[in-house]
Order: sequence, then C-alpha cells, then structure tokens
Amino acid sequence: MARAFYPLERFAPTPPTFQLLPFRFTRLNGKELLVNEAGEFLFVPTGTVQCLADERLDTGSVLYQDLKAKQFVYDDSSSPLLDILATKVRTKFDHMCGGTKLHIFVVTLRCEHSCEYCQVSRQTATRGEFDMSPATADRAIAMMMDSPASAVTLEFQGGEPLLAFDVIQYIIPRAKQQARERGKDLDIVVCTNLACVTDDILLYFRDEGVKVSTSLDGPAFLHNKNRPRPGHNSYEKAIEGIERSRAILGMENVAALMTTTAASLDHAAAIVDEYVRREFHSIFLRPISPYGFAVKTRHRTGYEMDRFLEFYKEGLAHILKVNHDGYRIAEVYTQILLTKILTPHSTRYVDMQSPAGEAWSVLVYNYDGDVYASDESRMLAEMRDWTFRLGNVHKDTRRSLFTGDPALQLFQASCNQALAGCSDCAFQPYCAADPVYHHATQGDMYGHRPTSGFCARNMEVITHLFSLIEENDRNTMRILWSWVTGKPLTKEVVACA
Amino acid sequence: MDQSGSITTPDAHCMAVEIDRSIVSDEALLKTCYWFSREFVCEIRNRNDQMADVLLTPRNAASVADLASTKDAFMTSAMDFALREKIEARTSGIRDLLLAKAFSESGVLEDEPQGVFGDAVEEAKSESMFKILGNPRP
Repeated sequence: MARAFYPLERFAPTPPTFQLLPFRFTRLNGKELLVNEAGEFLFVPTGTVQCLADERLDTGSVLYQDLKAKQFVYDDSSSPLLDILATKVRTKFDHMCGGTKLHIFVVTLRCEHSCEYCQVSRQTATRGEFDMSPATADRAIAMMMDSPASAVTLEFQGGEPLLAFDVIQYIIPRAKQQARERGKDLDIVVCTNLACVTDDILLYFRDEGVKVSTSLDGPAFLHNKNRPRPGHNSYEKAIEGIERSRAILGMENVAALMTTTAASLDHAAAIVDEYVRREFHSIFLRPISPYGFAVKTRHRTGYEMDRFLEFYKEGLAHILKVNHDGYRIAEVYTQILLTKILTPHSTRYVDMQSPAGEAWSVLVYNYDGDVYASDESRMLAEMRDWTFRLGNVHKDTRRSLFTGDPALQLFQASCNQALAGCSDCAFQPYCAADPVYHHATQGDMYGHRPTSGFCARNMEVITHLFSLIEENDRNTMRILWSWVTGKPLTKEVVACA
Repeated sequence: MDQSGSITTPDAHCMAVEIDRSIVSDEALLKTCYWFSREFVCEIRNRNDQMADVLLTPRNAASVADLASTKDAFMTSAMDFALREKIEARTSGIRDLLLAKAFSESGVLEDEPQGVFGDAVEEAKSESMFKILGNPRP
C-alpha cells in the first residue's frame, strides 16, 4: 500500500504575516547586505529591504525562510527564538564582562633606539629618573588587582622595558603573589625590541612564564631604516633575540609586530615573506599611529589611509597565496574582524570594541604613576595633551578613576551605537568608536566619520572581507576559517592550490 | 550643510539635486549630506513645503570630474536613509526589548524593562522561562 508523508504545510504552515527584527543594511557587489543586532548577516537580492519595509515579502519563499533563520524577521512560529537572539546580542558584548583585563606597566621611558615613528618621547638609556619606582609599582599592582576580572594580563612596555629589568624583577613576584591571594589568573608579556636581551633575562622569563612580544618591521633594509640605533643593527639584534628567545622560551611564547611606515608601503610581499622566513604564523599589518613622536616625523613616516589600504589588500592577497601554497600564516586584523563577522563572539582586541576598550578593557600605568585610558592616551600625554589621564595610582582608587571627569567624558563618546555616522552603519557590530583616535586626529572624541581615517580603514577592510565572503571561493574560505578557529589548514586547501 | 543664506546658482562646478520632502525626511537628508560632506559642501534650500534643492559644491578639483555620477549616488543614499527610517520605526521597540533582555542579568539596569518578550505560549505559563526577569505579566 502506498504511503505518503504529510505535506510540508502541515509541519510548517506559511504564516499570514511577519514582523521585522532590527537590522541595518548596505549595498555591496550588486546585492543588499543585511546585518542584525547580533552581527549575523545575509546577502539578499537588491530590493529585498524595500519589500521588507513594505511587507511585500512572500512568506512561502526560500528568501523568507533565510531571513527568518538568520533572525531578520519572525512570525508566530519563531517568536520563542527571540530569546536566543537576545543571548546572541549579549555574547557579542562579552568583551565587557569582568572589567579591565589588560594592564600595561610603563616601567621606563629609556630606550637605546631612536625610531622615527616611535609614539613615546624616549629618554636616553642612562636616565634612571624615568624608571618606575617601587612605591609606584606597588600601587599599580594593587590597582590592577582591584579589577573585577578573573584573569588579567600584565604587559611591560617602555621605552625599552629590558633597560629597567630590575623593575620588572620587582613587579613580577609581587603581582603573582597578589594574583594568588585574589584567585586571579595572571598572564605576563614583555614588549621589547630584544636588543638588550641576555640569556639570564630569558631564563628568568622562562622560569616565571613570561611571554615576549617584539618588533619586526620586515627585511633588514626596511627594519633598520625604520628603527635606527647605534651600530645600525636593529634587525640583526632583533633576529638574534628572536632566535635566542625561542630557544629558551619556546616558539609559541615569542610574537612579533610590525608597523607600516611610508617606507613599508611598496614592500608588502617582502614583509610577509620575512615573517614566513622567520617561521612566524601570524602577522599584523598595522598602520602607523597618529600619536606621540610619530606626529613630529609624519612628513617622513606618514601617509594617507588610502595608500595604507592598498598596502593591506596587497599584503592580504600575498598572505592568502602563502597559505594556498601550504604555509599557515594569519593576518591578525583580518582574523579579529572575521571572528566578529563569522562567529557569535567579540574579541579582546581593545582598539576594536564598542563600548570602546579604552579604560574598560585596558589601563596604562605610567612610570610616574599616572594612569591612562590606553597606550595611545599615554602617547597623547607625551604631546602635552592629558585629556585621557584618568588619575594617579598614588591619589586615586579604581572607583575614582572610573567616575572622574576624564573617564566620564571618554565613556560618553565610546559607543558607536550612538555616534553620528555609525548608528545607521551596517558594519556597526564589527566596528568601534575609538574616541582617543578621533580626539587626536580631529580634536573631537565623537569624530567626523566621513573624514575619519579610522572609519575609512574599517569601512574598506570590512567591505573587502565581505567581498571575499560573498565570492565564497572554497579555498579562500577554508583559509579564513582556519584563522578564525585557530586550526591548521586542511590538506584539501594545499592540494587544491 | 548650510541651510540658510542666499542660494548659489548651479554652474559647471556644482550640482543641484532635487529632493521630494514627502519621501526623504529632514533627518534622512541631513544624514545623506553628512556622508557627502567629505567631498562636497552641501547647501539645502527649501523650494516649498514639498520640494527642496541640495546644492553640492566639490571641495576639490578631483570631485568635479565625478559630478555626473554624484547625483545618482546622492539620491541612492538619500533613499537608503529614508528606507532605514522605515525599518527603524518598525523595529525600535523590539530593539529596546532585545537590548534590555540581553543585559537584564547584568544588574546594570536602573529600571525593569517594560513589555513582554518571548514565546506567547510560554509567557502564559505561571513558571514561564521566556520572560524578562521581573517583567510584569500583561
């Protein structure tokens, strides 16, 4: 006897009406890109948004089912899922949970390099009055531990922090003891150019579980041009330091960052190849920051954002090719943005958070005890602009830092959900406000997005990434997903290359 | 985005865009001008209650060459902002509820959010799981 299933309508009846859920949209590659409050997205045919607004969408169509599945619309059968959407929204803001996690200790302003793009007014290597005192270090440690975060990162910066190694040795055991007493996890990172590193220092770092982050701007000619020092051997020192650090600390505990100067712009592929040659598996194509000493030398080191974006795209294309050829190396900014676009989560990268990461996610304790909302805020102070000096460890508590006028003014401009130009932007869930950048470059924390370098960079980069997603090349997407998930490249990618 | 003063007669170096105010609201028009303000000085002149003219004057020579395509781009942008207003008008209430729900367990809300949220069947149950915490039953 023949039997048949009930028709689809019995299980999923076509709803007579539907309701819209909040979303933003933009136009991209001849389609409309819809993004909801949780950052989920959908490419739809042009005209779909108008149909939604006019309630002219066929509720029996595949397009309607896609819109419903991605929570751009709902009807009687999907209303319970609204709670899930609220959970997704909360997940997208999980970077706010726990309070300030990154605590930067500027243990000295001394440095033996004289980089033109340096964001700090370095002092000569012998001037000990620019080192953090034990009393200041004690107060900064206490303030760090006052953060409600269950896991905090202590990052040593300078100047060149290894020139104040005695200060580092003073801070680490005390921070560890207090972390133990308060039940907090503690990560420790030293940002160093490695020129002064010794085996004794590295053995100490190994024993204390300290990670190293260093600077590598590219091949020797470029690195040495960007980073002058006595002997003109910054590159050789960095490479030697990287090798020694890896030998003692392990490959996974040594990272490198590059800064893009005007001299870098024509060498995107060479910079990537240098990172591959040195066996790094990540590279961050970072523009130069418009702060501190970099402002004084911008006629030599600076460039327009459009030129950087060409550099970024050229570099990313080369990085993808390197991955296609079988060597896994991720571009960090792409990885950060794709995590926001392709997963429910946000990231801990403080420069791309809304509410802005300044103060919420990072605090900087300067050698003299002043507390800043971010490293960039400290750099502004080097330019005699103390707008983002929240207080001083000797005078303030965590509560007074966060309720003082500088912090409150900062917080008011820190949500891109409420900023002109951002509030309607489809890319809002992936982007940020960055009031410090806009104060520095436009004299206004809220900023003017049409002329903002921050906005230009992120609009262009996010648009580029969505173009790659929409193009949906199988191998490219496998590479991008490997970056997001942190998993190795599958053999299939290499085989198909 | 000057809305006052005498209007300049459009010439080869500027572009006049005619806007129907019944379709594009003041806010949508200002938002459009905001985004065009990088390349153009935008001057809005009300012709009457129904129509307005937006005079776009390029800030630099490079933009002059693009004048022909500027009108289309401006109109598209204005219509998109008008469309966003319609979406916003229909979804602002549920956006507020979503955000209230998302952060209701954070303890940062001064007031309990108003309105119901969730599955109508579950909402009707005495021990509903799908409710904003502390939200009064309708």
